[in-house]
Amino acid sequence: MKHVRSRIKEELFALGVVLVVLVAFPAGIFGYQAWRTASAGVKIVEIVARAPEQGGFSPDRLSLRVGETVRLRISSPDVVHGLTIPGLGVNVNDIYPGKVVEVDVTPDKPGRYAFACTRWCSVDHWRMRGVIEVTGGSPPVIATTEPPLFQQLGIDLDAMPHEAHATPNATPSISVGAALNVALPQDLTDPATRRTLAPAGAFDNLRADPANAALSDADVWNLVAWAWMKDVSPTALARAATLYARDCAACHGPDGKGKGPAGLNLPGMQKMDPAMPSGPADFTDPAHMLAASDVLLQGKLLRGGMGTGMPEFGSLYTDEEQWAMIAYLRTFLFAK
Amino acid sequence: MRYAISDVPIIKRMLRSRWLQWSLTALTLLFFVLAIIAGLVGTPAGNRNFGIVFVWIVWWALLILLLLPFAGRLWCGVCPIPAPGEWLQRRALVQPRPGGKLYTLGKQWPRALRNIWLQNVGFLGVALFSTVILTTPLATALVLLGFMIVAIGTSLVFERRTFCRYLCPVGGFIGLYSQIAPIELRVKDTAICAGHTEKTCYTGSDEGYGCPWLVFPGGLTNNMSCGLCTECLKTCTRDNIALFVRQPGADLLKTTGHKLDEAYKGLIMLACAFIYSTVLIGPWGVLKETARAVGTPGWFAYAGIFLALNLAILPGLFWLAVRGGQWISQPAQTTMRKLFSDYAATLVPLGLTAWIAFSLSFVLVNFSYAWSVLSDPLGWGWNLLGTVGLKWTPYIPGLIPYLQVPVLLIGLTAAIALALRTARQHGQTPWAAAPVTVFCTAATLGLLGLYLA
Repeated sequence: MKHVRSRIKEELFALGVVLVVLVAFPAGIFGYQAWRTASAGVKIVEIVARAPEQGGFSPDRLSLRVGETVRLRISSPDVVHGLTIPGLGVNVNDIYPGKVVEVDVTPDKPGRYAFACTRWCSVDHWRMRGVIEVTGGSPPVIATTEPPLFQQLGIDLDAMPHEAHATPNATPSISVGAALNVALPQDLTDPATRRTLAPAGAFDNLRADPANAALSDADVWNLVAWAWMKDVSPTALARAATLYARDCAACHGPDGKGKGPAGLNLPGMQKMDPAMPSGPADFTDPAHMLAASDVLLQGKLLRGGMGTGMPEFGSLYTDEEQWAMIAYLRTFLFAK
Repeated sequence: MRYAISDVPIIKRMLRSRWLQWSLTALTLLFFVLAIIAGLVGTPAGNRNFGIVFVWIVWWALLILLLLPFAGRLWCGVCPIPAPGEWLQRRALVQPRPGGKLYTLGKQWPRALRNIWLQNVGFLGVALFSTVILTTPLATALVLLGFMIVAIGTSLVFERRTFCRYLCPVGGFIGLYSQIAPIELRVKDTAICAGHTEKTCYTGSDEGYGCPWLVFPGGLTNNMSCGLCTECLKTCTRDNIALFVRQPGADLLKTTGHKLDEAYKGLIMLACAFIYSTVLIGPWGVLKETARAVGTPGWFAYAGIFLALNLAILPGLFWLAVRGGQWISQPAQTTMRKLFSDYAATLVPLGLTAWIAFSLSFVLVNFSYAWSVLSDPLGWGWNLLGTVGLKWTPYIPGLIPYLQVPVLLIGLTAAIALALRTARQHGQTPWAAAPVTVFCTAATLGLLGLYLA
């Protein structure tokens, strides 16, 4: 009898251990996670970042309220991703597979905030976007901004090709252009007007001006370079260089020649017209780039190239970043 | 030349205790449960998931590099997969029912399947999808769960540990390579067994259950079918069973009497070691991608080549080698089938060392993932032990080839020695072992080429 009681006690103990292993242990795992979430003191939103072919951001639509602090708990199951929410000042560059990155956001204004991946995670990386809808607080400001300049001016972004009939024989120099001490016409000193001009057109106007008759063609091109870059701050250029490396270099190449690894198999503009060049634009091609006004380039940046693989950056860049980026593109043709 | 370590009083007490094995099994079950949960709900990133890191790196390293060469089937003794089924079958967890009674339909496994052919098929099935299973936590969890469900079902219908003995895909190669281990569970004196009519080691007693592995310990001659559960140590009323330390590979010295299913197991293991070394760690990324792309035309081509290599090409080459030896020195009355099976003993050391060499290459490179996974087993952003930030660090990557070369050469040396011994035991001249020696040497050189290239 004593033996039986001892056996039952041992079996009950063993059963307790088994129940701990099979029931309490799993419950503890989920309980701990629930406790972590509950004790965080803020609302936690899980975002899983997958390559776009596997679904991209999940969820890719978030609803937040003004003044509410939310902890975004971001993870990736496949490759390294990044996350930027420009409107909320969030920039996370490295979300490694299996690691969890947490970032707190507290929106202070209602509106729609785009977010995007910042790492070239796949050939469709540029599709990896999402939107945060922030409501509450003060009544939402109704957008009264004007249409972008290219629309106001009726520029057809797809009217291609645009090719300059005159191009410089040597790389135009900004500093040499400045050293010439030539008074620039008003259409080149007023940024708003200059943006509507193509550098090649500006060259034609300057060349036709009798006041510049003594200047060589090369010096007129130097003047053009000076006119385009004189108002661009080094800070803006540095910011644009960072954005270019993050968003553009994979297709257009770090040197701007359009030979980046992610752009090798893109259709380019042939999607619109088989006679058009294939692949990403070559920013070092003077005939092509000097015939494009800043407004035209801004339009392409804002809208992207439908069907060419060129993403739109209108929802991710501020106005300042857009103009800085266009100035940066000019540096592929204009030397210091 | 062997020594009964279980005669050391403290070791005997531990081995006869019903709690030792049970505690270890409960511990492995805990890890098993964590691996399943991690696979089902944890991060899909394999290198951050406990299920992948601890099953395919830590456990695999433990099994291939330590347990198999030095402790044989010790893992089978504490494996969590058959445990729930066995507990249900016994309706007890630790202490035995009176007389070792089992609660099962008690069906006998079909006679035609009392071999390891199904284990060979199961292993090939897992191996064919291994590029997915080894990297996808969910797949790993489902496979492990599947094993456990089959084990439970088998326990309820069939007698004892039928699953372990005839079905477990892992148990098949563990049994094969356990013949190398320097330990064995055997009777001390067969004469005592012969005079012991009750045979409680097989039928069970109040002290424990009859051999769960369906083996009569008195007739054990090799480690293949002994699960080291130590049940017979508890039930033998004559204290005639012991755990011995012995000469490594002692089971292989008797190079006759081997079976065709075991021979194929050896060939499958060698072929898989070669294929894995080529596909998983070779420089051809396209092979790895193809092996992962299940269902595509490329994958079907891979599957065809995989199965052909395992079931036809490598066995065919080995058959030609054995046939060549037979042609060189015709034994009096030995069939090709018997020669083929017996010469396949050479594949045991060759295959095990091939797997050790292969495992060294990825275990040492990837082991450091274990530290971060310990702190965050599900990839949920935890940091339980403060180690989640430890970066991936390959351990002694430069030395790995210097470990692989001697390991493979030891295996080749043992294989050649066994080939010569097989020739002698079959009454052949030593030259009859030459073709098999060439086969083993070519396999070793092929692996060395892959590892050193």
